[in-house]
Amino acid sequence: MAHQAHSYHMVDPSPWPILGAAAALLTTSGLVMWFHYNNPYLLIIGLLSTSLVMFQWWRDIVRESTFQGHHTPTVQKGLRYGMVLFITSEAFFFLGFFWAFFHSSLAPTPELGGQWPPVGIQPLNPMDVPLLNTAILLASGVTVTWAHHSIMEANRKQGIQALALTVLLGCYFTALQAMEYYEAPFSIADSVYGSTFFVATGFHGLHVIIGTTFLLVCLLRLIKYHFTPTHHFGFEAAAWYWHFVDVVWLFLYITIYWWGS
Amino acid sequence: QGLKPLVPTESPAPIFGTSKPPSVLPATEPFLGKNKVPDLQKIFQRSDGLLVHLKGGAPDRMLYRTTMALTIGGITYCLIALYIASQPKNK
Repeated sequence: MAHQAHSYHMVDPSPWPILGAAAALLTTSGLVMWFHYNNPYLLIIGLLSTSLVMFQWWRDIVRESTFQGHHTPTVQKGLRYGMVLFITSEAFFFLGFFWAFFHSSLAPTPELGGQWPPVGIQPLNPMDVPLLNTAILLASGVTVTWAHHSIMEANRKQGIQALALTVLLGCYFTALQAMEYYEAPFSIADSVYGSTFFVATGFHGLHVIIGTTFLLVCLLRLIKYHFTPTHHFGFEAAAWYWHFVDVVWLFLYITIYWWGS
Repeated sequence: QGLKPLVPTESPAPIFGTSKPPSVLPATEPFLGKNKVPDLQKIFQRSDGLLVHLKGGAPDRMLYRTTMALTIGGITYCLIALYIASQPKNK
């Protein structure tokens, strides 16, 4: 039987990349059918197939690494580069929305009453729920670091407790933001203020949900003994992503919530 | 002969060194379930020629077929919907 003479992982042929692309097509066309023809079925099929592909693709990666041992240090290095590049691309994504915010708020047009916040807009009090949300995300940064050190010290019980607490804090943030959205005195349609506020905080909220889900998967893997004190990159990737989400919130809070009020 | 002691003079049975050795005690439950990774490693390293996305057996096949059916069905629906949407509106 031939063995490889290198430390990389040549993956088995897999249907997930092409099915994932198909799912993306269904989701985007589904959005068109929903927006323009009031028909949600294609979108539902798209979201369902996207979820199925994501579940099976990542399940296979867990099999290849934890169960088959293919993630050598070389492979792990590549994954680290990959995650760093992905998070960097996400940072640029948010940069665009911050640019849009400053474009409109640094030189408010006459249509807005020449001021920011625009005439008639009652901004949220930054010292109210937004400040609590800031405390929640900062605390979750501490708990995820506590979880990491527990994993590295082979302290199973503490690792599980700390990671579970991190997930709960993430859920708490999301719940509070949802309530804020519901109770807000302005909507996305309320001039460029509403647009910049809800698009920037909305995409951030989506990333909190994604990050919380990632951390939850890590919690389940931690409980199932997948991580070792020296090899737990999946967890590290989730923690990096979570710190990124935290930093974006801090920028949002300082600029849109505080300076912009 | 003397006074009968009120308290028995022979010492009570020794209590030190009488605990059962750990291997005889019932195993305490590991925190939140036991480690099944070695068993899973055996399953997923079997040389059965199966690709990783189907190596788990029947559940994998079901999930794969469901995903494939949903995606192919969806693409068909998508092409039909886009064809209809591209037709000019009847006056």
